[in-house]
Amino acid sequence: MDKNWAADFLGRLSASWHLLGVSLRRLLWSRQTIISAVLVVLAGVAAYAWARDRQRQPSDFVEEVLLTVYVPFLLPILCLSYATAGIATDRDEQTLVYLVTSPLPRPFIFLAKAAAALVLSLAWTMGTLALLAGIAGKPGLEVFRAVWPGLFWATVAYVCLFQVFSVAFRRATIYALGYALFLETLIGNMPGIVKRLAISFYARCLIFDASAAFDVGPSGPFNELLFQPLPAATAYTILYAASAGLLLLGLVIFCTREY
Amino acid sequence: MTGAPIPQPLCRFQAASKWYGPVIGLNDLTWDLPPGITGLVGHNGAGKSTLIKLLTGQLRPSLGRVLVRGHRAWTAAARRHIGYCPDVDAFYEEMSGRAFVRMLARLHGFSSKTARERTDDVLDQVDMAERADRPLGSYSKGMRQRIKLAQALVHNPDLIVLDEPLNGVDPVGRVELIRLFRSLADRGKSLLISSHILDEMDTLADQILFICRGRMLASGSLDEIRALLDDHPLKVRIAAPRARQLAAELLRLESVRSAALESEGQLLLEVQRPKEFFGPLAAAVAEQACDVQRLQVIDASTEAIFDYLMETAKRPR
Repeated sequence: MDKNWAADFLGRLSASWHLLGVSLRRLLWSRQTIISAVLVVLAGVAAYAWARDRQRQPSDFVEEVLLTVYVPFLLPILCLSYATAGIATDRDEQTLVYLVTSPLPRPFIFLAKAAAALVLSLAWTMGTLALLAGIAGKPGLEVFRAVWPGLFWATVAYVCLFQVFSVAFRRATIYALGYALFLETLIGNMPGIVKRLAISFYARCLIFDASAAFDVGPSGPFNELLFQPLPAATAYTILYAASAGLLLLGLVIFCTREY
Repeated sequence: MTGAPIPQPLCRFQAASKWYGPVIGLNDLTWDLPPGITGLVGHNGAGKSTLIKLLTGQLRPSLGRVLVRGHRAWTAAARRHIGYCPDVDAFYEEMSGRAFVRMLARLHGFSSKTARERTDDVLDQVDMAERADRPLGSYSKGMRQRIKLAQALVHNPDLIVLDEPLNGVDPVGRVELIRLFRSLADRGKSLLISSHILDEMDTLADQILFICRGRMLASGSLDEIRALLDDHPLKVRIAAPRARQLAAELLRLESVRSAALESEGQLLLEVQRPKEFFGPLAAAVAEQACDVQRLQVIDASTEAIFDYLMETAKRPR
């Protein structure tokens, strides 16, 4: 019996692995990739123009590139374009029926789709960060080495959040865009503790923490009193917990929902 | 003493009901799927799709249970036994038909080699082996139907659920697919076929499940259901040269309710108990030395029975 169970489980793993591969290929050759590529090229051109203007410092890169363009705009958009596409596109195009009537249990389907979205989102967010840092030159690369772990986990949290959108709503991309461009910006810049509901808040806390050596902190619009940053350890813990919680929430919704 | 384990019925609905908010999709259905080909007949909104979705694990019953080989239909264990050909015309359009079927074979847990072999086999069965390497987006409706059918058969399931499988298939293709359905049934598979083309059910289905407003109206073979419709005598048309004399003879039978001479040489009978009619009819024909040219039961088709059932269902109790 144990042997049967093990063989069954291995069969399911193999099927999930195949679904992951199919989902990766379909997401890669999709309009999401074209949109992401256009956005990254535009950001790269802007970074190039910015970098050749005058001698830049790492703090300039953090404040004028990362906190102005990358964290509030590129990071969520790159994440949502793949994370909301996985299951929601299957649902909108009515191809989900083939997956949910197959003997592959729903948790395996969800995790395979989420993994495909995560791999591509991480490739784009980390690749874009490296590209912008490379274009900015030495100051950019110094910042990249310091901030990438925080932004890696912010990407994971965003992907998990947008997976929830993907399984919960029809036309998930529209809802996710509304959330990323309006709600997240609004909540993330509110005074007090309400901003702790926004993933971008933790991304900024981690950037400030990692960039302390470059003399960057919540000054100006990110006034220390107004911003009230959390220590890096706390921000990481919350991102881990949020990612796990959101992934579990998406899993529960997908496994219990009738499509 | 231990006996052989009692085999689980392939598919069983146990007082299964499904509501969509205040709307009832399926109402207290208790039914076992028999072997062979079963037709599922009902108007739009009658509950056919709900029944199929419950059976294929896309929906869960609000009340009662739907079991496939003893497993709840919602579970992955149940879905192993089912091949589903949906009515929606949706595919991964960029894939070829072969790649699509192979991908779904892999999702059933087959190794790459086995999936390839099974894919080739089912594509051959649905006569798509030569045309399966083109992208799905370039297929005709009939070819797409065949690919949907191939993916439903690829894991060799016990139960095949087909939702409007002949939609868009040309007449020659229909004959081929009906022959395929019959050969699957002959190999011991159970097929549940939903179709709005009732003419096809007459020749295709071994038994029919009629549903209306979420309730089962009747189930069984057409003959069995027809025999239960006491309010609607069977109409039999007989073409014979001496129809008038034959009518006079047949009117003596208790089972014959009325006889009308439609034209010289053509008789329309209303028969109440068909089982008690055909034996004496043969005797009467022999006695009269009547040369019967044609004998036709004109209201035992799926469509006629469905109309009668609907009429009965609408009648106030």
